[in-house]
Amino acid sequence: MSAMTKRLLKRTDFLLLFSTLGILVISLFIIGSATHINTPSEQRYWYVERQGIFAVVNIAFAAFLMNFDYKMLQRYGTKLYVFNLILLLAVMILGHSALGAQRWIMIGPISIQPSEFSKLIMIISLAGVLEHKVGKINSIQDLLPVAAYVGLPFLLVLKQPDLGTSLVFMAIFLGMIFAAGINLRLLAGFFAAGIAAMPVLWHFLKDYQKMRITVFLDPNVDPLGSGYHIIQSKIAIGSGMLFGKGLFGGTQSQLNFLPENHTDFIFAVVGEETGFIGCTVLLLLYLVILWRGTVIARDASDAFGRLLAVGITCMIGFHVLVNVGMTMGIMPVTGIPLPLMSYGVSSLTTNLLAIAILMNIQLRKSKLQF
Amino acid sequence: MDEIEEFNGRIRTLGILFILVIVILLGRACYLQIYDGVYYSRLADGNRIRIIPTMAPRGTFFDRNGELLVTNRPGFAVSLLPLTEPIKPEVIQRLSDLLKVPKEDIEKKIAAHSGFDPIHIKSDVTPDIVSIIEEQKESYPGVVIEVQPIRNYILNQMGAHTFGYVSEINEAELEKKKEEGYKSGDIIGKFGLEKVYDQELRGENGGEQVEVDVGGRPVQILGQKEPVPGNDLVLTIDKKLQEAAEKAVDEQLMQIHANAAAAVVMNPQTGEILALVSRPAFNPNLFAHGISSKDWNLLNNNPYHPMDNKAITGEYPPGSTFKIVTGTAALTEGVVSPTEKILDTGRHWIIPKGNAEGEALGWIDFTQALAHSDNVYFYEMGNRLGIDRLEKYARMFGLGEKTGIDLPYESDGLVANRRYKQKNFEDGEWYLSETFDAAIGQGFNLVTPLQAAMVMGEIAADGKRYKPHVVKKIVTSDGKTVKDIQPELLSQLEVPESVIQRVQEGLHQVTKIGTAASSFRGFSVDIAGKTGTAENSQGRDHGWFVAYGPFTYPNIVVAVIVEQGGFGSQSAVPIGRKILEAAFGIGAYAPNAQKNIDESKAQKLRR
Repeated sequence: MSAMTKRLLKRTDFLLLFSTLGILVISLFIIGSATHINTPSEQRYWYVERQGIFAVVNIAFAAFLMNFDYKMLQRYGTKLYVFNLILLLAVMILGHSALGAQRWIMIGPISIQPSEFSKLIMIISLAGVLEHKVGKINSIQDLLPVAAYVGLPFLLVLKQPDLGTSLVFMAIFLGMIFAAGINLRLLAGFFAAGIAAMPVLWHFLKDYQKMRITVFLDPNVDPLGSGYHIIQSKIAIGSGMLFGKGLFGGTQSQLNFLPENHTDFIFAVVGEETGFIGCTVLLLLYLVILWRGTVIARDASDAFGRLLAVGITCMIGFHVLVNVGMTMGIMPVTGIPLPLMSYGVSSLTTNLLAIAILMNIQLRKSKLQF
Repeated sequence: MDEIEEFNGRIRTLGILFILVIVILLGRACYLQIYDGVYYSRLADGNRIRIIPTMAPRGTFFDRNGELLVTNRPGFAVSLLPLTEPIKPEVIQRLSDLLKVPKEDIEKKIAAHSGFDPIHIKSDVTPDIVSIIEEQKESYPGVVIEVQPIRNYILNQMGAHTFGYVSEINEAELEKKKEEGYKSGDIIGKFGLEKVYDQELRGENGGEQVEVDVGGRPVQILGQKEPVPGNDLVLTIDKKLQEAAEKAVDEQLMQIHANAAAAVVMNPQTGEILALVSRPAFNPNLFAHGISSKDWNLLNNNPYHPMDNKAITGEYPPGSTFKIVTGTAALTEGVVSPTEKILDTGRHWIIPKGNAEGEALGWIDFTQALAHSDNVYFYEMGNRLGIDRLEKYARMFGLGEKTGIDLPYESDGLVANRRYKQKNFEDGEWYLSETFDAAIGQGFNLVTPLQAAMVMGEIAADGKRYKPHVVKKIVTSDGKTVKDIQPELLSQLEVPESVIQRVQEGLHQVTKIGTAASSFRGFSVDIAGKTGTAENSQGRDHGWFVAYGPFTYPNIVVAVIVEQGGFGSQSAVPIGRKILEAAFGIGAYAPNAQKNIDESKAQKLRR
């Protein structure tokens, strides 16, 4: 056994690996259920096959990436940043619109959602920038350049309009500057400014976005329109009770009362078909990932790795909070997917690459003694 | 090193934040699934489960001999299943075009609807429409075909006023009957027996519990409840007699060019109604699948009111038929003896009122006066009795109040009396001339044809007054008797037997020597009768005839009125005679009558 393999085995974060794989397996079953795999038709396996194939391809690619040191990414920070901007601009020009937002680019048979990738790119380039500023963000003058650095892609995403992803940007940004040791007063001031700016931002929101927020506050405002998703999703989850209605047995999802049930609202299928027990298992698996993410951040060998790990963990944590919260009616409908669960090539690839980076950081942490 | 510690501290904060996130989400899941789980389960079932009712067939009507009168036939109704999503306007448009129902009507029904029961759009659609909807299911999401028994009045107009009609429940009725379990779209009896016995007839709707998807398309049947058919009614009506009575009325109306009439045939010993006719009539089948506005206007604008059951709702001056009451009162009160003769000079000596044609009959006794319907004699009886005693006897006969027959919209009629005059006229004083009018059934007196039959029936049954009824028995669809309606004695005339016998004899003479003698010459059953001609301020006089037979043991009483038919002896008597022939199976209705006609025809042919 080569030293490399030995080190790999010794340093691999199995908890992270297995919880990731666990969620992936659950996701294949639930996507199957949500897309009526139990109803005979020609396309019944289409979604599961696609998601499965891309998962395998991505895992293989991620394993291959273990050969490279994550620190290489540092060098590409600026180039990735520029690439990110170009990608987001391309969406605005070439993008296909779905539900009032331009988010997709078709590359051959695959539709790509660049805003998914841009989150990860954002984390890498921001980690590159913040690496040199750890402990040195003490005034507005220190903060402004960083804010502007994130602000540009943030605005492009907001313009798509993709409120969900821009909120993820915000969460990543806050998580990373917090980890970078920002002066807490400055952070509080930044928060205050953000809250003060909300009424202004409200005017920039599209009508459907305003409606989503209104409906979040009271779904019954428009029970057959915008509130429909929330109401039906709550019914699905609630009616799952303790044990659920059984896999493929959810009446809400099998009879199509629940829209988008294999993508953004997949957690509702979990809730309906596997009950509180299934929800608990899934949420605990996420907790393992988040816990490992923070541990990896703590143990990383350099500031870049630490910031990278924090960014990734914040991204996943925020996704889980907003997505699951949305299906249960405690977060507004913003259309961000549940990591590793929701059907979607871009989201799946982004999240698997993110996990791969976490594992890479773990693999190359300094404190390990041979 | 400080930096690292600071960093580690902040990482820990983030870690705690993540734990908090998961705890909050788990808490929320627990709240939704454990605390509120039952509530959301119910909502989920409400989403997916629909009850498609199977309408119970209404109870059937049979005549007293078990002949079918009213039944049901299978029909199809179109309904919309309420969806979780709003029903698309193009579906409504398509339905409106297909069913020829205005779009607004459908929208109104959808808007007025709540809950998840199907919204009833149209009853009794043709099989073509059923197959179009079945074949193009995708174009009609949420549209379902319900099998629905449709009321079938196999005799059409015949007996329509007795049987009544059914139609979809309206908003006012729904408001009143919600507690009794009536639902929007239900079929309800609106008139006649259908209305009175609706609770018995409607049965209990069954239903199919169906799982539907979000588009309202049924996915599978979860359960089924068989409908319980309504109870059947066995009527006291005799179909053959009813048929004969209707035919007799129609022929006579045609012959004398009159438009409206009514006839009642009853067994005076039990109160059982054997036939009930009202003209003009309507076809109750028109209502079974929603009457068109054209047909409705036609019925509504008819000046002779085809929708009224004139036999129990129509109020007419009783005319000379009232002399039965006056005569009974006079003999009982002893104001005249049966043998006392009174001089009819053509006019009464106090007030110059006389006979209709001005004829004078000379010295006549009670029997002759009744037989010839002499006005002067009965003016004098009114004079001797006074209005108060006349009123007392009229009420004793049951006039001025509903008979209590099991049919809706019965009228009270009116007995002439002082209070009525005081209440309704500026000059409230009672005049003798008004007593004179009352004594011969004119003036304020009003009776329904049924009341006229009741008066005659009480004489026939030696003073017994039985409650008239149309339903003999209520039985379940599998033949068990629910209720057997027995004759109900309402009252007994408080007059001596001898008086009733005198009146009976007078009425007997009507068909022997009196006003109906020419019509009953050679009639093989002994009949007692009384004609009447009621003055009508609106036009020609109404013709009356009341009769009973056989004279010695009467089991048939008949009352006939022909509106604006002129003299009763010419308008109403021929109808009464034909009905009596049918009732006793004589004359044209003799068992061998048809055979004789056939033979004579055959003989003619042979020649």
